[in-house]
Amino acid sequence: MSIINNIEKYVLAEIVGVLGKKTIDPDEDLLEQGIIDSLGLMKLITFMEETFSMKILDEEIIPENFQSLNSMASLVKLQSQA
Amino acid sequence: MDFSLSEDQIIFKKSAIEFAEKALNKGVKEREKNREFNQEGWEKCAEFGVHGLSMPEKYGGLGMDIMTCVATMEGLGYACRDSGLLFAINSHIWTCESPILKFGSDYQKDKYLPGLCNGSLKGGHAMTEPDSGSDAFSMKCKAEKRGDRYIINGAKMFITNAPIADLLLVFAVTDPTKGFAGISAFIVEKGFPGFSVGKPLDMMGLKSSPIGEVVLQDCEVPEENLLGKEGSGAAIFNSEMEWERSCLFATHVGAMGKDLEECIRYVNDRRQFGNPIGKYQAVSHKIAEMLVRLELSRLVLYKVAWLKSQGKRAPIESAIAKLFVSESYVENCMEALQIHGAYGYSTEMDFEKNLRDSIAGKIYSGTSEIQKNIIATMLGL
Ligand SMILES: Cc1cc2nc3c(=O)[nH]c(=O)nc-3n(C[C@H](O)[C@H](O)[C@H](O)COP(=O)(O)OP(=O)(O)OC[C@H]3O[C@@H](n4cnc5c(N)ncnc54)[C@H](O)[C@@H]3O)c2cc1C
Repeated sequence: MSIINNIEKYVLAEIVGVLGKKTIDPDEDLLEQGIIDSLGLMKLITFMEETFSMKILDEEIIPENFQSLNSMASLVKLQSQA
Repeated sequence: MDFSLSEDQIIFKKSAIEFAEKALNKGVKEREKNREFNQEGWEKCAEFGVHGLSMPEKYGGLGMDIMTCVATMEGLGYACRDSGLLFAINSHIWTCESPILKFGSDYQKDKYLPGLCNGSLKGGHAMTEPDSGSDAFSMKCKAEKRGDRYIINGAKMFITNAPIADLLLVFAVTDPTKGFAGISAFIVEKGFPGFSVGKPLDMMGLKSSPIGEVVLQDCEVPEENLLGKEGSGAAIFNSEMEWERSCLFATHVGAMGKDLEECIRYVNDRRQFGNPIGKYQAVSHKIAEMLVRLELSRLVLYKVAWLKSQGKRAPIESAIAKLFVSESYVENCMEALQIHGAYGYSTEMDFEKNLRDSIAGKIYSGTSEIQKNIIATMLGL
């Protein structure tokens, strides 16, 4: 499963479950639409750290890195290249 | 998992106890009555190294690990009867100094950390507003970029240290379209144009800790005082809270230990119906329960400290620790007062003051209800 699909599956199941959303566009702004709230982001970060064996620094928790599936996937890729 | 303290940590904790007993308790009753901040105690704590416990030596700190910080705070909580002073110092450390170290630029660290470590500067953080408390990220305070500065407008409420602070971390909305992710943090000095502080608020407890309202009216903040990047306010706040929920609450564990010792002494000395009251099971069970709460509080707090020392995130664990320690502290204060009867209720002793002080712990750093919400959400509920 691609990084984007993996994150999308988690966000749909664990974060937006109640909204009945079925898919997420990779560039859809999840922050602007209020799809991810602050506690949801905490969960998502834990999920990403465990799933992709990465460490997300508090300094990296900024909108650019979490506003869309694409930006999250970029963060994962950037770390795996480092 | 090994939560035992090293020999050095035990020695440091003991020296904190000796220091607090000698240097911090004189005149505590008077200050409580007059709602007076202990400036001398603040300076002595800074000299002892409390303010810079976890700060690197290059900024004047002691560079201690988190377990040593927790042990020291526990020692201070045990021996210092001025919980308002300890509260002020902890707010200064965990909600101002630490985030500047973690998120600050070299310029910000060089400018502010030496003064925060040696106590010549006092800090705090301003998140809560008249209309937003638990729902902190729904704040109205706004920061607008104009040229090389931000203009902040809004009001902040119940801000620890505000009346005495030289600088505050002020949280404000920089991008209203992004919700919690549109919040940023700024280092605001008391002398910045448009910054003002109201009179100290009269709270139920923690009377020697000045708490106040802050007004920002077209407050001009140079762009170099943005902490972290725009939009990192929520991450800064969450990181602060994780630290505060372990280290500040260590003072409560210390205080619970002291109260328990006093209760054990009292139930052995106090005789009614021909026996020491500790011989009555209704009383001795209270003591047993107090010890259970103390031991579990210490354990859960040390676990968070241990996780943080491993560089791990601890959102659930720090919420559990904050919830359990603060609730346990209130319960133990209630029982200590009850065990001492009318003497406990009298202002001659510290038990009624401790109870009033302890209740605040269920509210600040996120209420008990909010800690339960965090735990439930992290469990997928
Ligand atoms: C001694 C003290 C020092 C403080 N220092 C600072 C400081 O330095 N800086 C700062 O920014 N703030 C500070 N605060 C403010 C503190 O952070 C807030 O009081 C706290 O976040 C709660 O907000 P509130 O008082 O507005 O209560 P509200 O949020 O209005 O809550 C009222 C009640 O409703 C409950 N509640 C609210 N929402 C929910 C929900 N979703 N689910 C269940 N229950 C809910 C709460 O738990 C509470 O019992 C301080 C407060 C105290 C008492």
